[in-house]
Amino acid sequence: MIVNANKSIEVPAIKVQHLTVSYGPVPALLDVSVEIPQGKLVGIIGPNGSGKSTLMKSMLGFIKPDVGTVEIFGTDVTQVKGRVAYVPQRGSVDWDFPITVREVAAMGRYSYRRWWQDLKKEDLRLADEALEKVRMSDFRDRQIGQLSGGQQQRVFMARALAQDAEILLLDEPFAGVDAATERAILDVLQETKEAGKTVVVVHHDLGTAAEYFNLIILLKQRLFAFGTPFQVLNPKLLTDVYEGNLKVFAELAKQSSDDTGDGTGDEVNDG
Amino acid sequence: MDSLTEFFTSLQLDYGYLIRPLIVGTLVSVVCSVVGCFIVLRRMSFLADAIAHSMLAGVIGGYLLMKVFYQQDSNLTAMLIGAILSGILTVAMVGFVTKFSRVKQDTAIGIMYTGIFAFSAFFISLESVSQYIQIDIYHFIIGDIMAVDNSELWLLAIVASIVLPVVILFYRPLQLTTFDPIMAAAIGIPVMAVEYLLTACTSLVVVSGVQIAGVILVVALIITPAATAYLLIDRLDRMIITSAIVGVLCFWFGFAIAVFLGTEPGATIVVIMTGVFLSSLVLAPKYGLLADWVRKSNTVPQEMMEDVLGCVLRAKGKSVPVTEVLKHIKKPAPRVRKSIVMLERQGLLDVDNDKVLLTDDGRFQAKRLVRAHRLWETYLDRTGTTPKEKIHDTAHRLEHLSDEKTVEYLDDKLGHPVTDPHGSIIPNDSELIVGKDLLLSVLRSGNQATVVRTDGDAAPLDLKVGQRITMGPRSKDGRIWQVITLDGKKLSLTHNAADAVVVRLIAKS
Repeated sequence: MIVNANKSIEVPAIKVQHLTVSYGPVPALLDVSVEIPQGKLVGIIGPNGSGKSTLMKSMLGFIKPDVGTVEIFGTDVTQVKGRVAYVPQRGSVDWDFPITVREVAAMGRYSYRRWWQDLKKEDLRLADEALEKVRMSDFRDRQIGQLSGGQQQRVFMARALAQDAEILLLDEPFAGVDAATERAILDVLQETKEAGKTVVVVHHDLGTAAEYFNLIILLKQRLFAFGTPFQVLNPKLLTDVYEGNLKVFAELAKQSSDDTGDGTGDEVNDG
Repeated sequence: MDSLTEFFTSLQLDYGYLIRPLIVGTLVSVVCSVVGCFIVLRRMSFLADAIAHSMLAGVIGGYLLMKVFYQQDSNLTAMLIGAILSGILTVAMVGFVTKFSRVKQDTAIGIMYTGIFAFSAFFISLESVSQYIQIDIYHFIIGDIMAVDNSELWLLAIVASIVLPVVILFYRPLQLTTFDPIMAAAIGIPVMAVEYLLTACTSLVVVSGVQIAGVILVVALIITPAATAYLLIDRLDRMIITSAIVGVLCFWFGFAIAVFLGTEPGATIVVIMTGVFLSSLVLAPKYGLLADWVRKSNTVPQEMMEDVLGCVLRAKGKSVPVTEVLKHIKKPAPRVRKSIVMLERQGLLDVDNDKVLLTDDGRFQAKRLVRAHRLWETYLDRTGTTPKEKIHDTAHRLEHLSDEKTVEYLDDKLGHPVTDPHGSIIPNDSELIVGKDLLLSVLRSGNQATVVRTDGDAAPLDLKVGQRITMGPRSKDGRIWQVITLDGKKLSLTHNAADAVVVRLIAKS
């Protein structure tokens, strides 16, 4: 009965069980099981095509798995509405779409209204507040294509903030943004985490992974490791996962085991 | 009074036959151009085209069924149901081919709809079939809007009263699934169901529209007004309204011209619409070609501004008449004048009485350019990549690659040369800043400095930290650096040794 009393604390934010997803003859994900506890900042890392985005899309209920389940706070993901917010990869957004910065931020409020209802004044106010938080208020009425890369990323951060979801999923938020934006995004992520929310980030830069995240999921089709950066970023595991890039990684792995702080590893991505 | 009544009576007698086609056409235009916005944004235009063509098979099927079994001519309901079925069949077959072969979707669409359309045309031209059926393929394609009857008017009214409320009620799900289907799924919008809904609406609009207006007009009404609005407007809700207005106005205008000239209405309207699209392609305020061109010609290329700086620098501190600058730079005069204005705004040039003078900042920038130019010339000469007579021109193009890192790399690679191949001094004022820590290798003859640090094994042993030195002239084609110490001792350093000493510049001469 004690278990029951502590349920809200013990239930994981995201529970993935035996997840297998395939697009063709080769599975994109194979038998992935992982429990992400509440209130942590979690990185999903792995080489290109390792199924990072697929795992994320499964957590959003966008992909129907071949086998396995995803639970959000103990409820099946297909039954969950609006408890997970999502920041897409910059390359996957249609930047020519006729939509303004403010309208994108307001999308965060869609889950609070029935589909036929109009947004209320309060929704627009919350959208504006979210834009204020990421310092994008001055660009409210711009079409989203007329922004710099970092600004575009921040608009979608604002949308996620406006949604005020318990879980925040971000797909490669640091790809192709300047150092200032990277810092700004990271600050917002830290704040979000400190507010008790769970943040999951698809990330490709091994060098910064240890610094940014509490927990790391190391993925390549199957789950190679899940734990603290210290546990995950060891040379043996990394060379297993990034086999094609041994040379680059011998160096990197050494750095990350010597000092789990700052490494440099942009090269990781292009394998 | 009488004459006025007479006028209207005669108007109705003469032109009354136009009212019904006008109403029906307006309805078709509105529904097509509203649904078209989502189709254009989802890049499904080709699919709408495919449904429009392949529904011929369904129309024929429905027609023959009623004719053969119930002896009814042109039963509208049966033909409509047939058309919808063939539309669904096309979409399904396209999906099938795309999924199970390596053929991509656009190709699959092209194959399927031409195939189904051609089969229908082949089928009804068979002698045994053509005795039963009178379907005019010409009118199927180009439309026969003048011949609409009341049942078709009703049909369109019903379709409009289904489709328009659906778009208004489902506006946000439609918008979100079009823009970001993953987020839509995350907040519980059934993405596939919304897509089916849109496909169903499209089929309904296409099928009912083609009956009346013909394939070409319907497809054009779906795509062209929406694409026109897309060029003009930045917000989806306004884009939909604009698209509807463009569609209706084009229809009315084209219709009027067709009546006036006695031309085919469908074709006339499509021609007008295409014209409107092309003119907004050119004239659209933000995304038009003209706006683009104006934007481009308003920004003066960096290169031209740098050329102007270089030209003024050659006057050696005297002011230069603008006409002189125009003579030297062989580019369109208005743009050169504009770059002079830009340079003045950036505080690099003083313009007075049609004469230009470099400011201190301007001189600094200009020297930086000359430095880049002469280093590039030296590089081209030494590497032998470029014939002698072309070195100047090539360097002139390359000098615009003058960022700090590039120039530093060239300078080091070339052994910090003092003169270029023509014997002119390569200025390095932008490097030599008094009080700054520098490598000894960049110093020039006459410079005075103190030693700050000696790095690595290559550092000469007889230079001590804090020691004061004066640079002598280089020897051996600039490959040996000469250093004179305070007590008059002369030291010779190689490039490597000179690179290993960090000094602080005290005075330039």
